[in-house]
Amino acid sequence: MIRYILRRLVLMIPVALLVTVGVFILVRLSPGDPALVFAGEERDPNALAAIREQMGLDQPIPVQYVVWLGHLAQGDLGRSFQTHQRVLEAVTERLPATLELGLAALLFSTSVALIVGILSAVKRNSIVDLLSTSITLAGVSFPSFFLGIVLILLFAYIIPGRIFPPGGYVPLTQDAGDNLRRLVLPAVTLATASLAVNLRQVRSSLLDVFGHDYMRTARAKGLRERTVIARHALKNALIPVVTLIGIQIGAIIEGAFITEQIFFWPGIGRLAVQAIPSSDYPVVQGVVLISAFSYMFSTLIVDIVYAWLDPRISYEAATA
Amino acid sequence: MRSARFALVFASAFAILLAACAGGQQPSGGGSAAPSGAKAAYGGTLTFALENDVSNLDPMLSGLFVDRNIHYAMYDSLVRVDPQGNILPWLAEKWETSTDGKTVTFHLRQGVKYHDGTAFDGDSVKWNIDRYIQTKGSLRTADLGSVDNVQVVDASTVKFNLKSAFAPLLGALVDRAGMMVSKKVVDAMGADFTVKPFKAGTGPFILTEAVKNDHYTLEKNPDWWGKDAAGNKLPFLDKITVKPILDADVALTNLRTGQAQVINRINGKDVPVVKTDPTLTYQQVGSFSWNSMVPNEAPGFIFNEHRYVKAVAMAIDRDEILNKGPAQGIGLVGWGPISPAHFAYDPSFKPWPKADPDGAKKLVAEVGKGPLKFELLVPSGDPATLQTAQLIQAELAKADITMDLKTQLFNDIVTLQQQHKHPGMTFVGWSGRLDPDGNTYDFVVTGSPNNDSSYSNPKVDDLMKQQRAESDPAKRKTLLLQAQQIYAVDDPSRVWFGFGVSPLVTVKNLTGMESYPDRIPRFQTAQLQK
Repeated sequence: MIRYILRRLVLMIPVALLVTVGVFILVRLSPGDPALVFAGEERDPNALAAIREQMGLDQPIPVQYVVWLGHLAQGDLGRSFQTHQRVLEAVTERLPATLELGLAALLFSTSVALIVGILSAVKRNSIVDLLSTSITLAGVSFPSFFLGIVLILLFAYIIPGRIFPPGGYVPLTQDAGDNLRRLVLPAVTLATASLAVNLRQVRSSLLDVFGHDYMRTARAKGLRERTVIARHALKNALIPVVTLIGIQIGAIIEGAFITEQIFFWPGIGRLAVQAIPSSDYPVVQGVVLISAFSYMFSTLIVDIVYAWLDPRISYEAATA
Repeated sequence: MRSARFALVFASAFAILLAACAGGQQPSGGGSAAPSGAKAAYGGTLTFALENDVSNLDPMLSGLFVDRNIHYAMYDSLVRVDPQGNILPWLAEKWETSTDGKTVTFHLRQGVKYHDGTAFDGDSVKWNIDRYIQTKGSLRTADLGSVDNVQVVDASTVKFNLKSAFAPLLGALVDRAGMMVSKKVVDAMGADFTVKPFKAGTGPFILTEAVKNDHYTLEKNPDWWGKDAAGNKLPFLDKITVKPILDADVALTNLRTGQAQVINRINGKDVPVVKTDPTLTYQQVGSFSWNSMVPNEAPGFIFNEHRYVKAVAMAIDRDEILNKGPAQGIGLVGWGPISPAHFAYDPSFKPWPKADPDGAKKLVAEVGKGPLKFELLVPSGDPATLQTAQLIQAELAKADITMDLKTQLFNDIVTLQQQHKHPGMTFVGWSGRLDPDGNTYDFVVTGSPNNDSSYSNPKVDDLMKQQRAESDPAKRKTLLLQAQQIYAVDDPSRVWFGFGVSPLVTVKNLTGMESYPDRIPRFQTAQLQK
């Protein structure tokens, strides 16, 4: 297993390199001149030329790439073109907010999906099942930017008492209560789409497992229904669900791009959204790179969890 | 010639007169007199909802309007401006301009210290101006382009030796080019100075926290030198939190719900409601900013034919754009770049008081190349701008002019425009400058940095250069208006259609604040009444 993990970690390097090449070229396809954004309304040609030189934009793109990669190898993601802040510092400053939002969303979507999914499968075609199917459909259909605005309208304005604030962020260490109040709406918004998908997956996997012989055997042994579902059905039904959740861990950052924008959540998604129109190449490259790594790590973790869930899955053969 | 040169005195001389005349009534710390009988209310924290995140807190490298909203609280500049546009003493208590206009001597306020404890003096001024002029990539080189060198006469006197007489210099020194920062902090922070210039200014508030995209904390400078008209020591507030909130509606909601106490931007549709809200105070003054459409007049492009530019300028209905567009009547119609807040404004300058689609049709027919059709690049992500563009599109259709709209990232548009590659027109405004030169010269003089329309007219060039060296404001105004008649009407360089206003909306118990034409709130006299 350890050899397998090491092999996967090494394989991440060429993938990451491909990602860097891709993002490096893509951000430069836009005709926008970062020096002009930096200079704002000031247009002194000598100043602009000096700014481009300082940004390294006077060099050919392959040279710019090699220089950036050299710095990256030393753990330096460069400095923002716009603010001169170190990209690593900018990202690490915002990462806790993104992780908090992502984890809350994941926790919410997974727990609700499991509970409602199980109920829905066990009480198939009941009102609970019908309701959960409808919610699933609505969750998949609502884009997060729309859902976010609806939730703000509902909970911050229409329902008296302003249960949840419309946006903003207070660090957990500063005021835990306020932090959690502000977390609810963005976490629900971010979680809804994945909740719907997870819920469907839990329900259909369970229904599939219910038809297997070992389920009949378990019931025939006289086990209580609760034990049959928890010990025999759920563990087998969870494998495809884990795959989905694994992918969703990586998608947290991606989803946060929109959710953080709606709720003024100061995470790395918002950082990237603000960096893109200003052609702040180092920041966009840094965030995309971190996003790519989070995807790669989450799929690795999924593979490891597989082996735990299903002892028949072994990676030793694959590494041999 | 010589006598004419000797007769040259800066516009600063005019400003000195103003300052001297008003000297007795002007409080050192700015602002109006405190309400009679009102007791000064010290303490309190307020939140200012800023329209975007700041880009750069180093005055040397700042290019965006939002940055200045924090700069003005933490840095003092050599001179300041009042809401009427008069230039007044600040870190410089007085100044004289030589008769040939080539030397300006500033007498500095004594006993002032930067927030880090280092002294503000003549050496400090020289170091700051040298830094602005000599640093590679400095964005203040154009503002200070006329300055040859700064000479330290003594600890409280500096002399600015100029290459040639330059009337707009004092106007530039009001803003970032005149802001003084601590050398010690600059040296200590290195590249991080742009992000966290803690304790770098001499201003009424000290920057103590800077969390990008989230908030900035400014705490009271207990040693600030300013006093209000009643002799109260300034500032009153303990703390200001600046929070970037991009959406104007959300910012207003924050104000109404008590999560913010100050905003300086509001959608036109909300103004009537805010004015009648008993919990809020609304103030506005005319601003220096203008709106325009920028044609590409370079050879090979449609608008190389200037009569087409004039046809567009004639065909649009400026009143409709102001009243039925997103501004909802909040602003002023305009035909040129010199705003009502400038000394050189001419209220009778209304070349086309009403839209003239028939006149525009005739002009297009006169060119003889068939109907006029062009593309307008509109910044994406801004529904208000798109709405205005659609309104203009419909107005031009009445003159048989087809304007296709294309949305693109703002930065992409500005880049195309600056490279003179935009095919038709772009939709770009200007935040405005205190001196009318800053609203005009660079946009219309041949080869100037902001002349994105590739405009060139020798007569305009000549008039604009003359006004820079002219000391008499009345004569300067005549020259500026003569040039405006040419570049806005007779041989148009672009299509100007309106001016903005500077709103300031505060909670009712916040007093001591005034709206300035540059839209930047000044907090040193702000008081939160209990």
